[in-house]
Amino acid sequence: MKELFKKGLIGLGAVLGLSSCGGSDAGIGSNDPFCQQVIPAVETFMAEAREAHPIPDEPRYGGTVVLGTIGDMPDGLNSAVSSNYTDAQHQQFVGLMTLINYDAGGEPRAYLAEDWEVAPDGRAVTFHIRQDVRWHDGEQTDAHDVAFTYEAVTDPLTAFPNAAFWDHYVKGPDGVEVVDDFTIRILLEPHADFMDPFRTLGILPEHLLGDVPRDQLKLHPYGTQCPVGNGPFVFAQHVPQDRWVFEANPAFPEALGGRPFLDRYVYRVIPEQTTLLTELLIENIDVYIAPRPDQAQQIIDNQNLELLNFSGRSYVFVGWNARKPQLADPRVRRAITIGTNRAEIVEAILQGYGQVANTGVPPFHWAYDPGSMPSLAYDPDGARALLEEAGWQDRDGDGVRESEDGTRLSLSIKYNTGNQQRQDIAEIMQQQLSAVGVEVQPQVVEWGTLLQQINTPDLRDFDGVVMGWVVEFKLDDIDLFHSERINQPYAWSGTDNGDIDRLLEELSITADRTEAMALWREYQELLIEEQPYTYFYFPDRLEGVNRRVKGVEMDARGEWLNIKDWYLDPASR
Amino acid sequence: MTRYIIRRLLSAIPLVLGIATIVFFAVNLAPGDPTLYFLSPGMTQDVIEQMRINFGLDQPVHVRYLRWLGAMLTGDFGHSISHSRPVLEVLVDFLPNTLILSACALFVAFLFGIIIGTIQAVRQYSIMDSAMSVVLLFFYSMPSFWLALMLILTLSLFARNVWDLPIWFPASGIVSVDYDFLTFGEKVRDRVMHLVLPTLSLALVLTAGIARYMRGSMLEVIRQDYVRTAKAKGLSEAVVVFKHALRNALIPVITLVGLYIPVLFSGTIFIETIFAWPGMGRTIYDAIFIRDYPLVMAGTFFFASMVVVANLIADVLYAVIDPRIRYE
Repeated sequence: MKELFKKGLIGLGAVLGLSSCGGSDAGIGSNDPFCQQVIPAVETFMAEAREAHPIPDEPRYGGTVVLGTIGDMPDGLNSAVSSNYTDAQHQQFVGLMTLINYDAGGEPRAYLAEDWEVAPDGRAVTFHIRQDVRWHDGEQTDAHDVAFTYEAVTDPLTAFPNAAFWDHYVKGPDGVEVVDDFTIRILLEPHADFMDPFRTLGILPEHLLGDVPRDQLKLHPYGTQCPVGNGPFVFAQHVPQDRWVFEANPAFPEALGGRPFLDRYVYRVIPEQTTLLTELLIENIDVYIAPRPDQAQQIIDNQNLELLNFSGRSYVFVGWNARKPQLADPRVRRAITIGTNRAEIVEAILQGYGQVANTGVPPFHWAYDPGSMPSLAYDPDGARALLEEAGWQDRDGDGVRESEDGTRLSLSIKYNTGNQQRQDIAEIMQQQLSAVGVEVQPQVVEWGTLLQQINTPDLRDFDGVVMGWVVEFKLDDIDLFHSERINQPYAWSGTDNGDIDRLLEELSITADRTEAMALWREYQELLIEEQPYTYFYFPDRLEGVNRRVKGVEMDARGEWLNIKDWYLDPASR
Repeated sequence: MTRYIIRRLLSAIPLVLGIATIVFFAVNLAPGDPTLYFLSPGMTQDVIEQMRINFGLDQPVHVRYLRWLGAMLTGDFGHSISHSRPVLEVLVDFLPNTLILSACALFVAFLFGIIIGTIQAVRQYSIMDSAMSVVLLFFYSMPSFWLALMLILTLSLFARNVWDLPIWFPASGIVSVDYDFLTFGEKVRDRVMHLVLPTLSLALVLTAGIARYMRGSMLEVIRQDYVRTAKAKGLSEAVVVFKHALRNALIPVITLVGLYIPVLFSGTIFIETIFAWPGMGRTIYDAIFIRDYPLVMAGTFFFASMVVVANLIADVLYAVIDPRIRYE
């Protein structure tokens, strides 16, 4: 027996010893030929850059910030194929550069493009690219990179996820003209918020990805194994499902602030939110991205932590399938909305961190003006009256209304597994709507199955579905409500309304904001009338930040917005 | 013995292939496919179709099955859709982490289970026996994910922020963020500190079961004549228990290794998620949600193989411990 224990102990020791010498800390992809070529080039250039740009003698420089979030970045810095929010944030603010970004007022300002001109007829925009930006392997960033990126993302083979960005652009090589090494012209039709795509699209290095077949871009090691960017932070390591490590880029242009203050920035993946909160409270992480509303108080109560909150870019709603006989009449959908006490639900679910939504125009947007809209406040009597008017009465005395032909006003509301907020919404609706004679059956479905049931055009197997939606600064509901898209995945409601079609089309090409404002108002009034969705709320985005991290700014543009200006309180390092 | 092992391994091949086949069809027939996760506004059916072609999903299921089978037999597990890398590389990254965690949990569970069970048997019906039974039952009836959260609450959060203890454990991850800058000794310590909570969460539940088995088996053995003889010879109790009784009492307990390994693997799914442990359980779980077919297949294949091997090891251990058992 003693031998057995001894052997066991040696075995355990071997396991521990083995794991502490190798394995996960080596970084990944080192055996991929692409990465083997790229990594030494970055190391060489960075060593040179550190020589050439010594760290300024200033107390704000130095230290590591650790940020925790629930998910890994699936496509990393590969902006041509990614659809994930955190990916996009790192492409915009951490590893790559975009042509422009937005100031606090949502107005475009120079970034990789130091200047730009829009043709008088609105059919071309010319960008002048900064001449002092280098890829992290030392190559110059220039107009050819921009042209390559534009051609790649407008090529159908790439399957760029946000294809709607380019609806009014001339796609492919015909749409882009390299005027000289640092000047590029992109052709388009005049339309609203046409600069918005250039705020999100991280420019990719042509010298590394130019030869990759477009249909292979998604699987290319560039994105998550050895991305080479040109942004303020240099990729150092990615351990999948565990962490990303970025280091300060000493060669970042002086004119844009030069080297970031932080030496290192670590992105940690911690899928369980209770664990995330604990790690924030015990100061193992400095920033907890998007804590749940019920965790907010614990962050506020801790004197070392600060809770930031801002109006985010998402909303939560119940989408109604108007193809179903019970839901075909807009009056029924409106009755359901006003028969639900949404203000109370927002208070209960979000603990006040959010606002009731009546349409899909979010609070950060310039067209947000709920005061001027017809009210959809809680009104159970109004709901009953609307249902009567639409011919739904409780004919057999079972508490549920029926139509003349005997169809019961009974609806299932689906939501995905593991989402407590959505479950709460479905259950509270069940209870509140039974008071006006509508039967609701909450139904939980696994996420992949749910997506298939609601997105497949010839299936649409749902009555109502609790979903969330994230909008860009350029609002565009065409995919949701335009009748031409009725057989596309996102036409959940099956809305077919000529007036809505017309307004959506006009909105997408009206560049003047005063003119557009009137259209937005008209459009939102129509939405309130039509009720393709019962809009629920715009949740505030909450963030837990340790007070030792200074200079943090976060708003609807994103959490990583000014990460290059974050610095650590020198006393806390 | 060698022939027995080879025969067992050979007979495992159709078993593992059968499991893989069932999983292949189950996963592929589940509604949805990976493109749904990459879907975004403005993406037309053409783009979705293009993605399917890029992922090789445009073929019918049986064609994909034959392709997968053919490729797998040559050692090619394909390309993970969610990780954008060859599946084999993904496995190489994650499997060791799960194995370390499971091995530690198994070791701790058996070590404590055997010790506690022995003490309980030797001091049957004492206060210590009853007290241990109560404590073990407490852990045994606790779901491991809840135990994990409680351990985090007490041994990391309260230990540091409320009770001001000199030692507290990190609540997540395998190593600290400054791991690369540590000395060798600090690295080992860092690893161990990160292992403690997940190992305990997995092990405590198992310990309870093992201790119960051990107690029962030991009680039976110490009533045997040869144990009485040893006592009558005037040997000390420790020698009687550890030298004469323990080895025989262990025989039924050792078979539990084979039984517990599958339990451990399924337990790691929750534990790895709660402790942000980048292991195989969590990876397969995520892969199922994203319908990352190649990764799910490869992961299941490896888990199935490991369970088969674990059972084999249990049988071999049996023979090592009990000289009466001979495999032909």
